[in-house]
Amino acid sequence: MKKKGFLQISFQWLFAIIVGIVILFLTIYGITRLISTEEKVIGLKTSKEIGILLNPLETGFEEAKSSFLEFPVDTRVYATCDDFGDFGRQGIRISQKSLGKWTQAGEDIEFYNKYIFSKYPVEGRKMSLFSKPFEFPYKVANLIYMVSSNEYYCFIDAPDDIENEIENLNLENLLIEDCSESGYINVCFNGDLCDINVNYEAGEVEKGDGTVYFKSDALMYAGIFSDTQVYECQVKRLMKRVANLASLYIDKANLIAVSGCETNLNTELGRLITQARGLDNSRDLHSLISFIEEIDMKNKNNVQCKLW
Amino acid sequence: MVVMKKNKRGQVKIQQMAFMLIAVFIFFVLVGLFVLTFRFSGLKRSAAALEEKESLLLVTKLANSPEFSCEESFGNQINCIDGNKIMVLKDSINKYYDFWDVSNVIIMKTSLNTECTKGNYPDCDYIDVFSKGTQDIGFPVENFVTLCSKDSEEGRVYDNCEIAKLIVYYESTE
Repeated sequence: MKKKGFLQISFQWLFAIIVGIVILFLTIYGITRLISTEEKVIGLKTSKEIGILLNPLETGFEEAKSSFLEFPVDTRVYATCDDFGDFGRQGIRISQKSLGKWTQAGEDIEFYNKYIFSKYPVEGRKMSLFSKPFEFPYKVANLIYMVSSNEYYCFIDAPDDIENEIENLNLENLLIEDCSESGYINVCFNGDLCDINVNYEAGEVEKGDGTVYFKSDALMYAGIFSDTQVYECQVKRLMKRVANLASLYIDKANLIAVSGCETNLNTELGRLITQARGLDNSRDLHSLISFIEEIDMKNKNNVQCKLW
Repeated sequence: MVVMKKNKRGQVKIQQMAFMLIAVFIFFVLVGLFVLTFRFSGLKRSAAALEEKESLLLVTKLANSPEFSCEESFGNQINCIDGNKIMVLKDSINKYYDFWDVSNVIIMKTSLNTECTKGNYPDCDYIDVFSKGTQDIGFPVENFVTLCSKDSEEGRVYDNCEIAKLIVYYESTE
């Protein structure tokens, strides 16, 4: 009697199983790689889209403007800052939640004329945004504040104009009341035991990761909503733009002087360039306040030949 | 003869199986891509749509950036470009090559005949503020702006303001 094998499998079945396993393995491997690459591409595209969606916020003149970003899945937005070069650099990169895991954040999409103040990273499906112009003493940029809609900020004892501004922004996670619920971030203007303490008169914002210094309301919001490291870097970038604009105004002053328009601001603007470029951290802003006010007053008084 | 016939049938079956497995492979790839596209379809508000609909806003953004804007030097004017500032900006434009994410910026007063320089301004037709090149310069968007500069006549300084067109070539996001 002929001895038969334990399993009676024909060659066709054996071939199909082996090739099937190989092809399925390659498929799974290929799809995993493809998804990983696509995630990075989508991350880059979304970062670029965020940049475009922020454009409307950059056209504000006097008032603060608000908006929001909505993502289809939980998203972490990493707003990076680099103060290298003529203007420094704003980077945006994102990571999204897929099957319970965060995808790897891709490369930064770079912007040179944006100033985003946020936590690093800011996380959620919806991000509240608002912007406010920053002047020093001329308009320098519109600062953009990005806050996760999952985080609620309660402004306690804020000055009236700040309260009015926050009310007008109409953002659901910025409240003007004492919030006792846990998880809410209390921002106190008249106390030192809250999550964030603002000394409005002294121009200081004190919080968990350090104290930052501000000169105007635009920078005060920046101090409240961003991490200390992000804030300090963005202030340095803003000062670089202040210096570049001052240089532009000196050239303009020289040009219009030919038409008989005297501004007499070149010396002050030259000094501003030196001080803005030499700024070490936000604390140095305080030493510039009276000087900035002096330049602004001098320009305003020159009715015929205002530089800005 | 019989053996040959069996072999041929076997080969056909192997081919069928191979084709089937390739089809399965392609199917998985397509399903993967489909799921991916739907899960991460970017932002709910399309940036592309915004780019088209709000192109005028994008020009406004540039016109109101501190390097272009009149601020209050010619009164409170909206969409006002400071011609004097632009003429000096052209001298240091290399710094600003990547600053606005645009490829070309032209301010056209009347035509594209005589380019403005510091020597002939404001008696000229257009200011070529910024030009990255002629190849692949993106799509143009334009809006009317007020172009102002300080001028003088018989020793009297006055504001010389005229209507101009700000033409911006945006680099495509695709």
